[in-house]
Amino acid sequence: MSWLFGLTVAIKQMVLPLIALVFFGTRDNDAGPFGPFLIPIILVALLTRALWQQWTYRYGFGPHGLVIREGLIFRNVRQIEYARIENIDTERDVLHRLLGVAAVRVQTSTGGKPEALISVLDLDAVQEMRAKVFAEGKPGEPVATIAPETTLLHLPTSELIRYGLIDNRGMIVVAAGVGVLHEFGLLSFSRAWFESFLQSSSAAGLVALGLMMQIALGVVAVVSAIVAVRILSIVLALVTLHDFRLTRQNGDLRARYGLFTRIALTLRTRRIQAVHQTESLIHRWFNRVTLNVDLAGDSGGGGDQPDANKSRARWLAPVCSASAAAALIAAALPSIDLNDEPDWQPLAPRARGRIFRRSAVLAILILTGPAIWYLHAGAIVVVLACIPLAWMHAHLYTKHTRWALARDAVMFRSGWLNRRLTIVPRDRVQALSVNASPFDRRSQMANIYVDTAGGGAMRAGIRIRYLAADVAERLATALYRTAGV
Amino acid sequence: MQLSHVDPAIIGVWRWHGALTALVFTVLATVFGLTVSALWPFPPILAAIAGIAFVWLWPPLAYRHLRFGVDETGIAIESGVLWRSRIALPRMRIQHTDVSQGPLERRYGIGTLKLYTAGSRHVKIELQGLNHDEALALRDALLAEGGGSGV
Repeated sequence: MSWLFGLTVAIKQMVLPLIALVFFGTRDNDAGPFGPFLIPIILVALLTRALWQQWTYRYGFGPHGLVIREGLIFRNVRQIEYARIENIDTERDVLHRLLGVAAVRVQTSTGGKPEALISVLDLDAVQEMRAKVFAEGKPGEPVATIAPETTLLHLPTSELIRYGLIDNRGMIVVAAGVGVLHEFGLLSFSRAWFESFLQSSSAAGLVALGLMMQIALGVVAVVSAIVAVRILSIVLALVTLHDFRLTRQNGDLRARYGLFTRIALTLRTRRIQAVHQTESLIHRWFNRVTLNVDLAGDSGGGGDQPDANKSRARWLAPVCSASAAAALIAAALPSIDLNDEPDWQPLAPRARGRIFRRSAVLAILILTGPAIWYLHAGAIVVVLACIPLAWMHAHLYTKHTRWALARDAVMFRSGWLNRRLTIVPRDRVQALSVNASPFDRRSQMANIYVDTAGGGAMRAGIRIRYLAADVAERLATALYRTAGV
Repeated sequence: MQLSHVDPAIIGVWRWHGALTALVFTVLATVFGLTVSALWPFPPILAAIAGIAFVWLWPPLAYRHLRFGVDETGIAIESGVLWRSRIALPRMRIQHTDVSQGPLERRYGIGTLKLYTAGSRHVKIELQGLNHDEALALRDALLAEGGGSGV
């Protein structure tokens, strides 16, 4: 059956070139000798390729690992040791669900592309594979003991609506849509178009309304655009995260979601490297937080690989109430005792002054040029306004940024508008670096970076800036002693 | 942890690298000076002086700030003249290692030890300027008690 999915994937990839071909083929009078047969030829070629892949792709369970054979002329046999398999994720779009099968992604800690991508597998076979692989990983436990699943979090429609409002993913879709329309030349506001609009009766009517009505109309237009984008975000959230359910089985967590395409992600607790809690301003209005985890095996992908966009965000909870977050974090990091309030430590005493100077200088450097260009003498107001704003930023940032070293974890809380909390178990720390720029050294400060596996390049590990140099040194030494245990 | 310096022969390697880079810049400055005749002959002279000063002064400074130490937990590397950093890597976290030698390094009998981790940013940690035999010995010492999956 896999040829069917191979074919649909191939057609999905080819659909734009094919449309272009049909489009230009009809316009072109001299289509060449193959003109009318070109599309059938391409389709047959794709079908052959898909069938060929199905016939040559085989997987099996070896004594030590998963064995995958592909190709007939250029043969490739891949052995994936059971103990090294980190994640088995499934994804089922509408076609998969109609036929009762799933696409399976097997990942090890190498990162980047999945080690095996089986595009169609029977659901029972997936279950068997999961049981077998994860049982082999933990020797001594018989395959048959499948503990009942307990639901840790289920998001009803009301929560998804809140998530849509917070996440605002509709904006990205609108931006992408505008980009596509622009590419096709549908958004070319030419001079002639504007002139014909200005001379039309509706424009004359607009002028007749007077300034106040014009402003009111403008405000209404902006507000309705914002509302429309938010509604789009809500619809997206309802479709992509429909029936989000986080469950625990045999100590490992699983997340399932999606209305049309159902996705099942494994979050093996012993592979969780860090937990991130994010809280934007809108999160706080609804008293909600978002929880993510970093998993070994997700890192190092690089954005240019075709599969990079497939490595899903590892939600612990796309959205959950602030009070429920603690229980979910405890479920994700069972080895860590989170009952005691950690001993939060502030940044270095002189950090506020440095952040103030730094942000004020940066803001003035960036803003002065454009402000003088647009506002002439009025620029002085803008530039002077930077100073109290920079002070406010420095004050609030130092007030809300704290770090803590617990017995088994290191935690970092930062930011005042968008607040983040990152928890890294001490036995998950990969490497530590203490860095000091010339500015740092002048004020006896340093920053520390705690590297972990599995994070993306942007949000991996913990970086604490503006620590007193001796504090950073002590923290690094303490973490280094326990990292390799 | 006791930190020690690497083999001073690395200064020679760095001087050669610096000299080659300075030569390239001097040639570029000469071309630039010939096209803007009003400035002739200052661009190549300035480039050459700056290059010589850099080649003479910088490698010993960089050498003085490059130190490393090994203990039972792992390895620590200190480097950087202006932007200083100290990386500490537990040996449990080393995924695999390389010892590499370029042509110049071979001439001076030194090698570069590269340590790979499963981390996100410190994926590859390099220690330049070790005596080649010492680099091999250090690699073996670091790997000897490794084991575990490293993540």
